[in-house]
Amino acid sequence: MVTKAAAQPERMDMQTYDLIIIGAGISGCAVARELSRYRLRTAVLEKNADVAAGTTKANGGMIHAGDDPAPGTLKAKLNVEGNALYENYAKELGFRFKRTGSMVIGFDEEDLRYLEKLLDNGHKNGVPGIELIKDTARILEIEPQCTPNAKYAIYTPTTGLVDPFEVAIAACENAVANGVDFYLDSPVTGVCKEADGTFTVTTPKETFSCRYIVDAAGLHADDVARLAGIDEYNIIARHGDLLMMDKECGVKDLMPLYPIPSPESKGVVSLTTLSGNVLVSATAVYRDKDDTDSYAWGIEELLKGSTKLVNGLNTRKVIRTFAGERAVAENNNNDFWIKPSAVCENWFHVAGIQSPGIAAAPALALYVVNMLRENGVPLEEKENWDPIHREPADFSELSPEGQADLIRQDPAYGRIVCRCETVTEGEIVAAIHRNPRATTVEAVKRRTRAGMGRCQSGFCQSKVVHILSRELGIRPEDVRLESDGSWILSGAVKEGPEAGKGEA
Amino acid sequence: MKTSYDVIVIGGGPAGLSAALKAHEAGANVALIERNDELGGILNQCIHPGFGLKYFKQELTGPEYAQRLIDRLAATDVDVLLSSMVLSIEPASEENGHLHQISLINETGRYVLGAKAVVLAMGCRERTRGEIKIPGSRVSGVFTAGLAQRYINMENLKPGSRFVILGSGDIGLIMARRLSLEGMKVLGVYELMPYANGLFRNIKNCLEDFGIPLHLSTTVTKVIGKERVEAVEVSKVDENLRPIEGTQEVIPCDTLLLSIGLIPENEVSRTAGVELNPATNGALVNDTYETSVPGIFSCGNVLHVHDLADNVTVEAERAGSFAAAYALQGGDPAPADGEADGACIRVSAAQPVGYTVPTFIRKDRNASIYFRVRRPVENGVLVVKSGETEIFRGKARAYKPSIMECQIVPAKLLAGAGDEITVSMEEEK
Repeated sequence: MVTKAAAQPERMDMQTYDLIIIGAGISGCAVARELSRYRLRTAVLEKNADVAAGTTKANGGMIHAGDDPAPGTLKAKLNVEGNALYENYAKELGFRFKRTGSMVIGFDEEDLRYLEKLLDNGHKNGVPGIELIKDTARILEIEPQCTPNAKYAIYTPTTGLVDPFEVAIAACENAVANGVDFYLDSPVTGVCKEADGTFTVTTPKETFSCRYIVDAAGLHADDVARLAGIDEYNIIARHGDLLMMDKECGVKDLMPLYPIPSPESKGVVSLTTLSGNVLVSATAVYRDKDDTDSYAWGIEELLKGSTKLVNGLNTRKVIRTFAGERAVAENNNNDFWIKPSAVCENWFHVAGIQSPGIAAAPALALYVVNMLRENGVPLEEKENWDPIHREPADFSELSPEGQADLIRQDPAYGRIVCRCETVTEGEIVAAIHRNPRATTVEAVKRRTRAGMGRCQSGFCQSKVVHILSRELGIRPEDVRLESDGSWILSGAVKEGPEAGKGEA
Repeated sequence: MKTSYDVIVIGGGPAGLSAALKAHEAGANVALIERNDELGGILNQCIHPGFGLKYFKQELTGPEYAQRLIDRLAATDVDVLLSSMVLSIEPASEENGHLHQISLINETGRYVLGAKAVVLAMGCRERTRGEIKIPGSRVSGVFTAGLAQRYINMENLKPGSRFVILGSGDIGLIMARRLSLEGMKVLGVYELMPYANGLFRNIKNCLEDFGIPLHLSTTVTKVIGKERVEAVEVSKVDENLRPIEGTQEVIPCDTLLLSIGLIPENEVSRTAGVELNPATNGALVNDTYETSVPGIFSCGNVLHVHDLADNVTVEAERAGSFAAAYALQGGDPAPADGEADGACIRVSAAQPVGYTVPTFIRKDRNASIYFRVRRPVENGVLVVKSGETEIFRGKARAYKPSIMECQIVPAKLLAGAGDEITVSMEEEK
């Protein structure tokens, strides 16, 4: 490209926005979606190849009732408010949500004392319908698969379930439909506050200018803030192992069952996900940031924990172990860290969003937008904001007639790619071409469930790689599993005119 | 398009092909449904030799073996539906005209086909990292051996450069050789058990001939890497198969292949309500390979995992004939699991015998009992008992878990048995 000898050549390709959100986890996506109703030019920068690829993708997906957080904390408030908003949130954004209720199970008098405290907490936090049960028969009536050793329980009818990445993806896509720009594969490498009060944000690919920054960078929110010279808090990582069981594991439609929590965590919870797998989550150990390794110790704890609470679970039926990390703001009473920077005008921290970050998300978004308004961000409502997001077709959930219709419209819906979860090529192609596009094998998986079943993509990975390659116009060896560097294939086995001929 | 058949076979691998051929030979009108766009199943990616020695009396590659069956099928009027996925089977009942209803989809639509008898021949899948819960990071570069085999043999794509293989199952061994031949480096094969799981000939031909070390009583205890496998940690295990602290060794590599076992793929069977055997993950069948649902038969790797395609063919041919007989005679003339006539026996396995197929046999027919031992037995004597009474005793010999065994028990020995027999093994010093 021929360029003018400009005085500031690096500013030439500068993208200008009013507000930039850093981080496209559940919080960043929820805030982006809430902001999309205003006439504000908003962008979201995400370091991963997909939204929801950090903490959001690796947690239990529970919409906690709100009895656990300490009364008076922001976490308690946003948890209870967020929980109440979820029905409508799910209706507007089209993701799956189910109010299952849940129980915290106690076995002895010491546990009972804890449950009484939890009941009191729940009342103080305003948890609707919370109840202390002291009757095994009643506990088993509520959840017959609970261990018959249970003597006491706190029952909260408002606990619900989502697939956390579904929520984030839906919020993101709705934000995009309403004009927010998402930049994926865009880690923030530098932030500079200019003399005119604007921020210059650099990523390896582009440079951005904006007036306001919402830092929702999860585990690295503090590191991103430090790039701008803001050193107000510290994030530490609380690691959790999780495991997923086969749909056939002896237990069906299990209501979330919590043990007596520790001060650090709600303990090992067992539940049946919206897709029908038992999920056991999570341990809680402080580890290095970005350590999402599974630990043998953790996996054993999960199996022990689930066996203690659940009757009839076949613990041999594990199909996947994984781990996530919650971002904990240090020395902050275990609370969220949502506030304007005290040292840098127009910088807003949305940090320390540990559990119950998913449950809190809709309320958190409203809270953040209100904070922005109070701090002078001009928020003028759009006339044409569309809060409705339509989820694409889920073939396996359709009636036989619906399936036949879809195949008639597009034969690709007649080609099953993932046999374990009955995912068709049509759904995968649709996922790839959503906005933003799904460009990795894992991004396709999160949107379609291809590869989430018991064979864990042993049969469908090569098909998904070829579909991605074809739809994105890239070579199979350029298709990634997840983030940059997660290559799957390294090129041709044999070179030559005949090599690889005739393959899809 | 025809919508009803005597026999519908689900799966077009060696089991489905063989069953369809025999059912057709027996006079049934047959359809075969295959989810891929070609017949042959997993044999298509098994480009190594070693197939057909027993059945065709000639050494063939996997695709050659499959092609022989495909050619035979092409000469028949069996209807073949390719790229067609069966979603469910609704068993025959009065309401649906006594035909099993098979729902399937393909590019042209969604269909329901009726069949008097169904043969399940969907094969198996590989055990995964999740099932054995290997700790560590969730990077790219961990493949089941069969997936890597597909990439290399079918798609001309390299899944990595420096490999560690966990598990000495046959696919892993075959892949060790394939990778070496294609210029990739295999650093070693690691096996949890104190013995190799694959066939002896594969240890010899695929590892020893290529100088690839086999480490027994060793397993992968951690996958290391940020985005792609950078190394694996292996550890020695004790007699309880638990990793021994302090024996860890880190092996730099970019790919981990898993060859840790196969599991029958019974998703479709479950939709029909077919009862499964927890010991095999396959259907519980009688001596005609009929499952707990009358008129639905099962054979090949969806029934129990075989080590030789030739054995799959033999089993599937029998299942195909019985399915045809069932369809043509309007039902099962002598079910081996009918409780009514007192003529049937339930077969169970006792350690070190891991399982038996079939589970139900008849007192008035010779029984071919297939089984595997769970661990190697140097000098084992197969003993079949009815209660405390011994009705059969074999000769002392060696047994290995890698080899599926077959013992024929003559009807005359079964005549006096009770309604349950146990297949067990005594070990001689």
